[in-house]
Amino acid sequence: MFKDLKYKLNEFWSEFRKVKSGVVGLVFLIIFILMIIFEPLISPFPEAGKRWRDITYWEDNSKSAPPVWTNLFTSKKYARSETLTAPIENVTDNGRVKITEYEFDYDYKADRPPGDIIFRTEATGNLLFITEIIRPDGETVSITRNNYNFSKPSNVRIALSNDSKNGAYELATKFDKENTLSIPKQSIDGFNILFSKVQENMASTHDPLKGTYKIKIRILNPGSTGVLENPRVIVSGSVSGILGTDNSKRDIWSGIVAGVKWAMLIGLLTSALSVAIGVIYGVISAYLGGFADSLLQRIYEIFVSMPVLPVLIVLGAVFKPSIWIMIIIMCVFFWTGPVKTVRSIGLQIKEETYIEASKAIGASNTRIIFKHMIPLLIPYSFASMALSVPSAIVYEATISMLGLGDPSITSWGQILQDANSAGAVIQGLWWWVVPPGLMISLVGMTFAFIGFAMDKILLPKLKTR
Amino acid sequence: MNSEYLVEVKDLKKWFPVRRDFSQVIKKERKFVKAVDGVSFGIKKGEIFALIGESGCGKTTTAKMIMKLHEATAGQLIFENNDVTNVDKKRLLEYRKEVQMIFQDPYASMNPRFKVRDVLEEPLLIHKLYADRDERLEKMKDGLSKVKITPPEEFLERYPHMLSGGQRQRIATARSLMLSPKLVVMDEPVSMIDLSTRAEILYMLKELKNEMDLTYLYITHDLSTARYFTDRIAVMYLGKVVEMGTPEQIIDNSLHPYTKALIAAVCEPKSGKVNIVKEVPIKGEIPSAANIPQGCRFHPRCPYAKPSCISNPEPKLIEHNNDHFVACDRYKEI
Repeated sequence: MFKDLKYKLNEFWSEFRKVKSGVVGLVFLIIFILMIIFEPLISPFPEAGKRWRDITYWEDNSKSAPPVWTNLFTSKKYARSETLTAPIENVTDNGRVKITEYEFDYDYKADRPPGDIIFRTEATGNLLFITEIIRPDGETVSITRNNYNFSKPSNVRIALSNDSKNGAYELATKFDKENTLSIPKQSIDGFNILFSKVQENMASTHDPLKGTYKIKIRILNPGSTGVLENPRVIVSGSVSGILGTDNSKRDIWSGIVAGVKWAMLIGLLTSALSVAIGVIYGVISAYLGGFADSLLQRIYEIFVSMPVLPVLIVLGAVFKPSIWIMIIIMCVFFWTGPVKTVRSIGLQIKEETYIEASKAIGASNTRIIFKHMIPLLIPYSFASMALSVPSAIVYEATISMLGLGDPSITSWGQILQDANSAGAVIQGLWWWVVPPGLMISLVGMTFAFIGFAMDKILLPKLKTR
Repeated sequence: MNSEYLVEVKDLKKWFPVRRDFSQVIKKERKFVKAVDGVSFGIKKGEIFALIGESGCGKTTTAKMIMKLHEATAGQLIFENNDVTNVDKKRLLEYRKEVQMIFQDPYASMNPRFKVRDVLEEPLLIHKLYADRDERLEKMKDGLSKVKITPPEEFLERYPHMLSGGQRQRIATARSLMLSPKLVVMDEPVSMIDLSTRAEILYMLKELKNEMDLTYLYITHDLSTARYFTDRIAVMYLGKVVEMGTPEQIIDNSLHPYTKALIAAVCEPKSGKVNIVKEVPIKGEIPSAANIPQGCRFHPRCPYAKPSCISNPEPKLIEHNNDHFVACDRYKEI
């Protein structure tokens, strides 16, 4: 039995190898499977799948940042993400107030400032945080003052970008009062000024001032009872990750990787279920013949002539959008795919003498259908399964794209939907639109290639195609 | 009822409706292909009964009605003094156990994806005999050795395409005997087998009949094997029996012009006669069963036909002597 199977698989493989497109499809399929297996390793945000809609998980990224590798193609380089640890620490305690001073060195070499600079620490006690940035030219810009009172260890996160407006405005007015005052304070970008050379018109034109910036955080702790642990500064670059970020700071690459398994699940489950139903339906229709056949064919025609997408949209809106319900609804429509072909093959098989012989022995209809007819249709079923995977994925993406998807999963369709509603195309955020679209078509192509190859091998009549 | 017969058919008919066009539906015209048009005969227990005729004369259809693979349009089928023309599912399954069939084409009568083991096991599984796997295996081996397939163990794991035609027909025989039936219907069981193995298979079938107390319905177009093999012969023409009797009566002393023509058409591989192409007394093809000639249905091809053969009603099957029946009004004249 096992030997038989092995032999058949070997035979199949030696045939399969000859079909180039099939091999390409198989390579892609293996890549996708590897992506699913090694998701925690290749994704910089391993919990992306679970916490896709959790903004705190993504808060240290910058908004709408292009991919890192775009720096290779531009003359003005964007700042990359870094984490600065091991600051110079300076503690003074006069009995009444404990003052802790952290000084982080940030070496700025890019032409465009980072998206944000975030100070993080775990702290307890009554604490006043004062942050300032000392520029390479010696100018000191104070940014924030935050007061916290924690009774138990808590996370402190101080983001400097938004609060840098005041300091930057002051800096600009100090050197170029006339021009700066003509610009409203709210419309300036603090970091753009902070990381630029001092010059005329510095509030609106920015020449990067490269060098070492000192980020200084002074923490005043009256009573000296506070505890500070693990201080660090996260520079979230204006380029980020392999595929950039969206406008909610989410890493697109992590989303894409998390979407692979859902695409596979939707595609394979839907196609396997619907093809199984369709094949059994077609065989039964062919075998029973006569009135039953006509009736089954009319029912089939009703399903075929129903437009899938509008019905899916309505049902998606009526039911709670869940991936499982969506798979079931898709099966309700997709089973029609193989019916006609299976029925015509079934009509042929049914006339074979061995079917009659089996009837003469006393075999029941069920036995004839499942033991004699369906095994002959298994090769065809596999080919048609592979061919119906892409449409299932595309339909899920379409539904998600319309905003009726399952919010508990991360699918490519939903990434596209977010991009659409955020106007990503108009804003030029191509890294948000192209990768999920490309992945949908790649997975579709993979299964289409495999399906065509199997078609060619298993139904030799098509070989001339 | 006559209890000397194991199976008896009375005026059995099978008419297949012909697809009608729209005007025919409107006019309520109905047309039928009268494949079997009133056949009556009985098969005694332990007998080998042959149905002989050209292709298209309805002998296979008759066999399939006896097998209950076709529903009879009219007439009666009696098995062991019980009317089994219309039976429910349960009785049908019991009937199937008693009556088995061997098909003409041993290449097509087995699922190419089934091993010999699966082929033989199927009847046992369907009828839920021998729940134990080893018992079934024993029974299958036993069945294979009965049809002289040795060693059985080796053949169980083979697929039909690995076997010769003769071996396949032996296995088909073994399959039909798995359920120890009373009647075996054989539809030209040796016509697709090499001449050299034919006699061997027929000999085996005869031996099995005696050994297992079987009754055969043997369907063929081959008079020579019928003579060698059978106890009684019925000659069919266009859905009707035209002559019935023992092989001696039919072949040496035939009465019906059609039977005479059939016998005359048999080639004799004797020296000196090999190169002679025989002149067959009857002409033309068998007419369509959808359009049966008026009067005696053989008249268009009969060398002795007279106008009375057309105008008179169809001749009935009458006893000539001693269980020798013939359906010809003028058999005494010719």
